[in-house]
Amino acid sequence: MRIQNIIEGKKEWRAHMARVKALPQDYRIVYKEIQKYFFKVGPVELTEGTGLLSGIIDLFEEGAALGKGVLEVTGSDVAAFCDDLIKDSKTYADIYQESVNQEVNKAIKKVTDKKK
Amino acid sequence: MLKGVLEGCVLEIISRKETYGYEITRRLNTLGFTDIVDGTVYTILVRLEKNKLVDIEKKPSDMGPPRKFYTLNNAGREELSRFWAKWEFVSSKINELKEKK
Amino acid sequence: MDFWEKVTGSDMTKKLRSFEARTKKLPADYQAAWEKITANLWQYSDFTGRNLMPILDGVLGLLEETAADGQSVQEVLGDDIKGFCSALVGEEGAKSFRDKWRKQLNNNIAKKLGK
Repeated sequence: MRIQNIIEGKKEWRAHMARVKALPQDYRIVYKEIQKYFFKVGPVELTEGTGLLSGIIDLFEEGAALGKGVLEVTGSDVAAFCDDLIKDSKTYADIYQESVNQEVNKAIKKVTDKKK
Repeated sequence: MLKGVLEGCVLEIISRKETYGYEITRRLNTLGFTDIVDGTVYTILVRLEKNKLVDIEKKPSDMGPPRKFYTLNNAGREELSRFWAKWEFVSSKINELKEKK
Repeated sequence: MDFWEKVTGSDMTKKLRSFEARTKKLPADYQAAWEKITANLWQYSDFTGRNLMPILDGVLGLLEETAADGQSVQEVLGDDIKGFCSALVGEEGAKSFRDKWRKQLNNNIAKKLGK
């Protein structure tokens, strides 16, 4: 699932945002900030549809049902929580850098092949 | 290093009986790890799932949304015994260090 | 995608068109920011620009979400669009930008939760 597909008013995204809306305000605030952060950092899970975002909603819904405050659930360092979640995953920037390196390697190989 | 230890603890807790995220946090908190929050446990559970060390079943809950329940699979049990072996080694070495004056 | 599309890059044209359609729905200041971002990002592009597509997709998603939220575009991107772009593709300075985003995340939350 691509971000584009999710956001362009597709059913999944609407259902997803409906769940966000139903969260208590403090949870909703934190969720939205987390989502923004992930859009910037760009972990590949965002488009693989592995439920990075919906998993957080699961966690938040249950926390809210238990009457906990949102920071009790995430810890006060929300950024650390986010980074922990995507620790092992590649970001778009990583993939981009790999593609650039490949190009460079190809170019170098061409040059060295010619010299042979 | 502490993260790895925590992961071992979570594996151990799951190995005892089928359980879910918030219950695992509670268990760790009552054990004395008071600064561990649900989010920390959640990130560990996500990793365990990604590494295919657990089986997951979604069940309705009497409070709030359906819950994911976790049990260890074979790979998870192997990982747990590896963790304990590593732990034995590390703690014996640390003790050795402490006792050698 | 068939072979021909890949060779001629016409799949890319399609994608760029869909980006364009999405951009048109954004508020004016967001559209202006998008222009600046794409202008800055093209220098990182390979011959077809294919390698930039997922990154552009992510940025557009960010803009769509924050615009719907009623935030000002400046609040989201900051003043340094050039730096923002090089961080997006993981170039020099990406690490410090990620630190900034991290701080921004925690600050926004603290501010909005009123603590």
